[in-house]
Amino acid sequence: MARLLAAGLMTCAALLAQGKLTPLDEGGFQKLIAANKGRVVLVDFWATWCKPCRAETPQLVALQNKLAARGLQLIAISADEPEQEASAAQFISSMRVPGTAYIRHAKDDEKFINFVDRDWSGALPALFLYDKTGRRVRSFIGETSMKDVEAAVAKLL
Amino acid sequence: MLHRIAVFSLFAGLLAGQTVAIGSRVGGLELQDLDGKPAPVSAWGGPATVVAFISAECPMSNAFNDRLIALYKEYSAKGVRFVFVDANVNESSREVAAYRVSAGFSFPVYRDPRSQAANQLGASATPETYVIDASGVLRYRGYVEDSQNEARVKSRALRAALDAVLAGKPVAVTETKAFGCTIKRARRTS
Repeated sequence: MARLLAAGLMTCAALLAQGKLTPLDEGGFQKLIAANKGRVVLVDFWATWCKPCRAETPQLVALQNKLAARGLQLIAISADEPEQEASAAQFISSMRVPGTAYIRHAKDDEKFINFVDRDWSGALPALFLYDKTGRRVRSFIGETSMKDVEAAVAKLL
Repeated sequence: MLHRIAVFSLFAGLLAGQTVAIGSRVGGLELQDLDGKPAPVSAWGGPATVVAFISAECPMSNAFNDRLIALYKEYSAKGVRFVFVDANVNESSREVAAYRVSAGFSFPVYRDPRSQAANQLGASATPETYVIDASGVLRYRGYVEDSQNEARVKSRALRAALDAVLAGKPVAVTETKAFGCTIKRARRTS
């Protein structure tokens, strides 16, 4: 398991070094949430063009570093277009966002958005909180107080 | 002071039930011009009206400026009325006025300081557009086109909705996801 994890991290680091992120469609997203059962998952949809998203990133990384040992898993998914992928990878790298960094790569973006949350328009910033069973319990759309996010996360840990 | 305006981002889903559904009649919009004077939209004329929520600061909104200008030129010549609204309370009238000039808009841009228009229509993002027919019925809500990158556009849903309304036909795709930046709304707090 540790070897697999290490291999995964190396792959992610190698991709980032090449200016690439791991592509994710709705099927991959579903598997990702399922694979993290037992942990509280905070999904951050962001984009390089989204100023408030970029402003939230260091706070989210700090939250992840603070609560990782208690079972929080931050998952960052870029909603950038392919032209911005290299910039997105560079940003993720510079912010030291832990774990695998993803980029939304769906055949149908609307389907992906609806899969995540039918009430979400796809507007950014957007955070989605999942409990340890993989059930989405909260959506934070728009600029959000990190205190509110932390409080919501803490209730689930 | 019983109420004051506070800035916050509000998820449109919270407004479910208060927003106008496709096929329903749209009420008036309590807008202001960039001098702060009331500029209400109280009646819907024919053949159609486009309400477009835009932002001076949102790069995704700005990525659609040229396309909105082109749509305005083409469809205003056919009698369609356009109402451009910057509903972000963090963007001042002065900022919006400067943006209007720099973006090359030949049309006015209105503000929605109390978020009445955004709340009534359920607008959550910029850019987000609405097509209202001559009888004031909402016929389309959603994106202008489905990609920021013009080369990757597969759906021009706003244009298709306008063409359908102008032709007196049903709109095939009535709702799309208006990806972009969240609208920074005003809220009354006690």
